[in-house]
Amino acid sequence: MTEMIPLPYILDFLPQEDPKQTRIHPFFENLKKGRLTTTRCAKCGEVLWQPRVVCPRCNGDSMEWVDLPREGTVYAYTAMVLGAPLGFEKELPFVIAIVELDLGVGRSLRLFSRVDDATYDEMAIGKRVHLKVVDCGDGRVFYRFTAKAPG
Amino acid sequence: MAIAAVVAGGLTRWGVREATWKELVQEAGKALFDSVDNLDRNEVDALFVGAADPERFVFQAHTAPMVAEQLGIRPRTIMRTEMACASGQMAIKAAAMHIAAGMSEVALVVGVEKMNAAPLAESQTSMACVLDREWDGVQGGSAPPFFAMVAQRHMLEHGTTREQMAMVSRKNHRFSATNPYAHFQKEFTLERILSSPVVAPPLTLLDCSGITDGAAAVLLTAPERARSFTDQPAHILGFGQAVEGNNITNLGDIATWPPLEVAAREAYSKARIGPGDVDFAEVHDCFTISEIIEYEALGFCQKGQGGKFVEEGQSDIGGKVPVNTRGGLLGTGHPLGATGVGQAIEVLWQFQSKVPRSRHVAGAEIALAHNLSGAANAHAITVYGRVPR
Repeated sequence: MTEMIPLPYILDFLPQEDPKQTRIHPFFENLKKGRLTTTRCAKCGEVLWQPRVVCPRCNGDSMEWVDLPREGTVYAYTAMVLGAPLGFEKELPFVIAIVELDLGVGRSLRLFSRVDDATYDEMAIGKRVHLKVVDCGDGRVFYRFTAKAPG
Repeated sequence: MAIAAVVAGGLTRWGVREATWKELVQEAGKALFDSVDNLDRNEVDALFVGAADPERFVFQAHTAPMVAEQLGIRPRTIMRTEMACASGQMAIKAAAMHIAAGMSEVALVVGVEKMNAAPLAESQTSMACVLDREWDGVQGGSAPPFFAMVAQRHMLEHGTTREQMAMVSRKNHRFSATNPYAHFQKEFTLERILSSPVVAPPLTLLDCSGITDGAAAVLLTAPERARSFTDQPAHILGFGQAVEGNNITNLGDIATWPPLEVAAREAYSKARIGPGDVDFAEVHDCFTISEIIEYEALGFCQKGQGGKFVEEGQSDIGGKVPVNTRGGLLGTGHPLGATGVGQAIEVLWQFQSKVPRSRHVAGAEIALAHNLSGAANAHAITVYGRVPR
């Protein structure tokens, strides 16, 4: 019997969310409470996505956390049918979309996101989708959207 | 005046290869060195290795010195370039810059990727981390779903059809069928392309480039020295490059690709040509829809007319701009770091009339090579001339 050589710990797709590992840990803490948030630069007022610690426009490093809409509309969609990365193969097929969030005053933000609770055939451009928080079971969370209206 | 000249090229057979990445490098090096009569390999004073993700595909970093070791060279300048799917073209750009700056007299570029060392899901994972892992990759997507949505928007906004997309695949596979180095040396009918397994709707398997092992090598020198190696070099006339973020959120228009338009303007301006001067082009057809958008953004046709361009045969031999006569990424496969180098070899061999007559662009003076990387956020272009101008 050949002895297997154990490999070192390998990172997965999920972000490092712990305060010991990231300065944007409030994003994940807010997400656990059902809030989708990002940073706004206190100096120039720009809403930044993804959350930052330094503003890429004005170099300001004082940030405020602001809420993003919990509802969006589908700008484009497809389904992952073949060729999923590790850890996702068992979930095939699943719907992936670009979800547009209306920030008001003519501004919007687009997110690349899984959309649960709908098949590819049930999807449509313009469809309303709602924030969903996924618990990864190891203390980490990430967001998806769901086609199901909140109950 | 040309920046540098590509004087020789060497390729391995591309495909699912029963060989390690180091063996592919040796094969490409041998093909290159065998093709140049007047080269002592000790003259190679610079080495640029294009490889996208060897850390994950083959669990190996610090690959450039290993390439030098495989090839028995001791260059004074040595580095790897990484820009995912554009890594190979970046190695050529770095080599040309060193030559233009007088820092190298004879520079070797090797592009390599071994993508089939591990099971498919591993390879897909390595490719998915080209996306922003924490925000996009985490959603379980990789390149196909992104380009599927690009296709959906282009079809919606411009009336592009599934059949037009399939025509890109049919054309490029017809070319690769006569390319002995290609992964897929086989022609496909439109019906077969349209009915191949769905990867991410509307994209089917034959809308997608292959997961391929392969290597390619080119030799560069100064234009005035080029003729000591070959009667017909490919002169580099200009580069263009542009980037707009990496996260898909930050690409303004997924159906137009503004950064490619910016890169094209720069490349044409530096080479002092316009899109109408391009006699043939090697463009980044990672997916069929990509080639259609590239016709438009490179100015070969009007915005929204890319589908019509391929349907009318304008990107075929005898058309306005023959595109991907090598077979493209769709036909030859896409070993990420090797792709841009393989394109340069096609340009050289076209100028040297070394390709089969059925896909030869006779009398070509100007060629363009393009790669994109990431979610079409980054684009790179090299313009080549048969003469230095």
